[in-house]
Amino acid sequence: MAAKRYTSMAYASADEMTFGVSKYPVKAGLDLEIGAGYTIPEVNYAPRPEAGASKEKLVKEYERITTDIMARMVQVGFPAVILETEHVQQMSNNPSWGAEVAHAQKTIMEEYHDEYGIKCALRHTIGDIREDRDFLQLRGDKYSVFLEAFEECAKAGADLLSVESMGGKEVFDYSVLRNDIGGMLYAIGCLGSIDMEMIWTDIAAIAKKTGTVAAGDTDCAQANTAMFIAGGLLDKNLAHTLAILARAISAPRSLVAYEAGAVGPGKDCGYENVIIKAITGMPMTQEGKTSTCAHSDVMGNLIMQCCDCWSNESVEYHGEFGGTTVQCWSETLAYDCALMNTALETKNDKILRDLLMLSDRYRDPQSYVLAYDNAYKVGQAIVKDGDNIYLRAKNAAVECCNIVSEGAAGKLSLSRFETKALADAKASLDALPDDMDKFMDDCVTKYKSEVKVFLPENYGL
Amino acid sequence: MLDFTEASLKKVLTRYNVALEKAMTPEDAAEELYPKDKLIYPIAKAIFEGEEDDVIDGLQAAMDAGKNPIALIDDALMVGMGVVTRLYDEGVIFLPNVMMSADAMLNGIEFCKENSETAPVNKGTIVCHVAEGDVHDIGKNIVTALLRANGYNVVDLGRDVPVDEVIAAVVANKPIMLTGTALMTTTMYAFKEVNDKLVEKGIKIPFACGGGAVNQDFVSQYALGVYGEEAADAPKIADAIVAGTGDITALREKFHKH
Repeated sequence: MAAKRYTSMAYASADEMTFGVSKYPVKAGLDLEIGAGYTIPEVNYAPRPEAGASKEKLVKEYERITTDIMARMVQVGFPAVILETEHVQQMSNNPSWGAEVAHAQKTIMEEYHDEYGIKCALRHTIGDIREDRDFLQLRGDKYSVFLEAFEECAKAGADLLSVESMGGKEVFDYSVLRNDIGGMLYAIGCLGSIDMEMIWTDIAAIAKKTGTVAAGDTDCAQANTAMFIAGGLLDKNLAHTLAILARAISAPRSLVAYEAGAVGPGKDCGYENVIIKAITGMPMTQEGKTSTCAHSDVMGNLIMQCCDCWSNESVEYHGEFGGTTVQCWSETLAYDCALMNTALETKNDKILRDLLMLSDRYRDPQSYVLAYDNAYKVGQAIVKDGDNIYLRAKNAAVECCNIVSEGAAGKLSLSRFETKALADAKASLDALPDDMDKFMDDCVTKYKSEVKVFLPENYGL
Repeated sequence: MLDFTEASLKKVLTRYNVALEKAMTPEDAAEELYPKDKLIYPIAKAIFEGEEDDVIDGLQAAMDAGKNPIALIDDALMVGMGVVTRLYDEGVIFLPNVMMSADAMLNGIEFCKENSETAPVNKGTIVCHVAEGDVHDIGKNIVTALLRANGYNVVDLGRDVPVDEVIAAVVANKPIMLTGTALMTTTMYAFKEVNDKLVEKGIKIPFACGGGAVNQDFVSQYALGVYGEEAADAPKIADAIVAGTGDITALREKFHKH
C-alpha cells in the first residue's frame, strides 16, 4: 500500500487539542480504548544487565516486572495501564525470545484482568536490528528477522506494535556534529521518511493479519540524539535551537508511519508527537517529568499537555525504598493520569493543559516550539506541501525558525550562541533548492563522499 | 490562552545560560590565543574555523618557507587545536566546532605525513570501542575526535566489538588507556567481561567507560573501571594518566563525581 499523505490538519484549531482525547481513539488489548476521554499510564522498563545471559533469565525478569506493575496498579486502585517492553537486542535478533516474553507478560496481565477487571494492553517495541558492525543494512538479510520479530510477538500476546527505526542515522550522526542543517534535513526528512514508508507498510500488514495495532514510531535515533547532545542549559555540545530544528524535521518523518497504516498511540519518546497528533488526530504517548529516571529534558510538564498515554521512558528494574522501580514509577504515572482524568471529568482539562504548557513554555526554544499552539503551526507548515517529503520537512524547519525568532522578540530568552546558530541554520535553509530531485542528487553525492558508512542502496537510491 | 507577565515569568524559571553568557565572542577569544608567528597564525586560525583547504594552504606556505612538516604538527596544528579545546573546556565554543576543527586537523596531519619521511610523535595510544552487541556509536565517535584533538593516537575498533577482539587490540597496541561506550543496560555487561580478561592476563590499564545507561555504580564494580560522565572526560583522564596518575583508585577519586 502506498502511503496516503496528509495534506490537511485533523483539528480545526490548536485549542481543540487536549490530553486524553483524540479524534480517532484506538481499541487495544484487554478492554482498553486509547484517546477516548481518559489518559492511561504507560510503564516502560529495562531488565537488569545480568538478565540477558539466557532466555530463561530474561523471561523470568519480565514476569517479575509485569507482576510488580499489575499488583501496584490494583493496590492503589488505578483503572487502566499499558506496559511497554522495549526489546533488548537478544529478543529481536531471536524472535522466539521476544515471543516468549510477550506470552509470559500477557498471561499475567490476563490473570489480573480476569480477577480485577483492570483494563490493560501490552506494547512491544521491536529493536531495529537492521545493521551489522560496519553498516546499516536496512534492506538486507536482517529485514526478514526484523519483521518476523513483529509477527511472532503479535501472535504471542503483544497488542501494540512499535519500533524506533534508524533510517538516516548514519548521515544524521555526521551532520549534527557539524552544525550541518542540510544534512540533518536529508537524513531525517528524506532518508528517514523513505525507510519509514517501507517498514510501516509491512508492519501495518502484520498488525492487520494478527489483529493487533500498528502503533507508531519515534525519531529517537535522531531527534532524541540531538536533544540529548544539546542537554541542559549549561551544556556546550549543541545549540538548543539546532536540537529543536531536528525535532521539527522529525515530525514529517514520524508522520509517515500513520500515512502507511499505523493508527497510534505514537511511542513515548517522540517529542514530535504533539505535532503529529495535530495533523492526524490519533492518540499519542508522551514522556516528560516522569522520565527523569531515564534522561533529563527541558519540558517535563509542557509535554504532558496533549498526551493520551503518559510514560516514564525506561527504568532499570531493581529495588527502591518504595518497592521495585517499576512499581514506584507506574504509581507516579498513574497519579498524574488520575489528575488529568479528574480535570477531564470536571471540565477543567483546558486549564490544566495550559498550566502544564505555560510552566515550561519559555524554559527553552525546544519547549517553546512544542507548546501546542506553536506545534500546531509546524503541523500546518508540513501539510501545506504534504505530498513532498523534502518540501514538508524543509517547511517544518523554516516554520520552526520563524516561531523561535518570534518568541525571541518576546519573552523567550536566547543566548547569543543560540541566536547565531539559529541565524546560520536559517541562512542554510534559505540556500536550499525548492526542487526535491536536485536536493536529493546534491546530497547523495556529498554524503557518499563524506560519510564512509552511508550506503545509498539502503534507501533504494 | 494563559501567559506570564515578564515579572511573573522570573519567579518560575531562570535561563542561566543567558544570564551567565560571556561578553567576548568566540572569534575574539580565539584571536587572543593564536600564536603571533605569521606562518603559524593562518594555520591555527584555519583549524579554529574548521576550514580544511585553508589549513592545507597554510601548511604548504609554511613548508615552502622551510618549516619541517613533522614539526608543523606540534607547532601549528596542535597549537590551533589547543585553542579549540581550551575554548571548548571554558564553554566559549560548542562541540560541533571541535568536531569540524578535528576534521581539519586530521587532514593537516595526513598532509604533513605525506610530505615527510619521519613519523610524528604523539602523547600516547588509546584503544576505543563500543560494547559487544551495541551499535550506538555517536558517543564513541565524539570520544575519539576529542582524544585525537588532544594529541593522542587512537585505535578505533568501531562498534559491536567482540570481547576477545578488544583484548587482542590491547595486547597488540599496548595503550595507556582503553575506552568503552554503550547505550544499553544489557550490552554494558560486556565491560565486565573485558575487565576480567584483562585482569586475567595481568594487564592493569585504566578502562574508561561511559554512555547511555552506563553509570558510576556499575563501572565501579570492576577492577579497572573508571567512569566518564561526559565524552569530554576522556582526554582529561588520558592527560591525568600521562601526568602520572595511572592508579585506578586515584583516577576514580579524581573523576568519579557522585
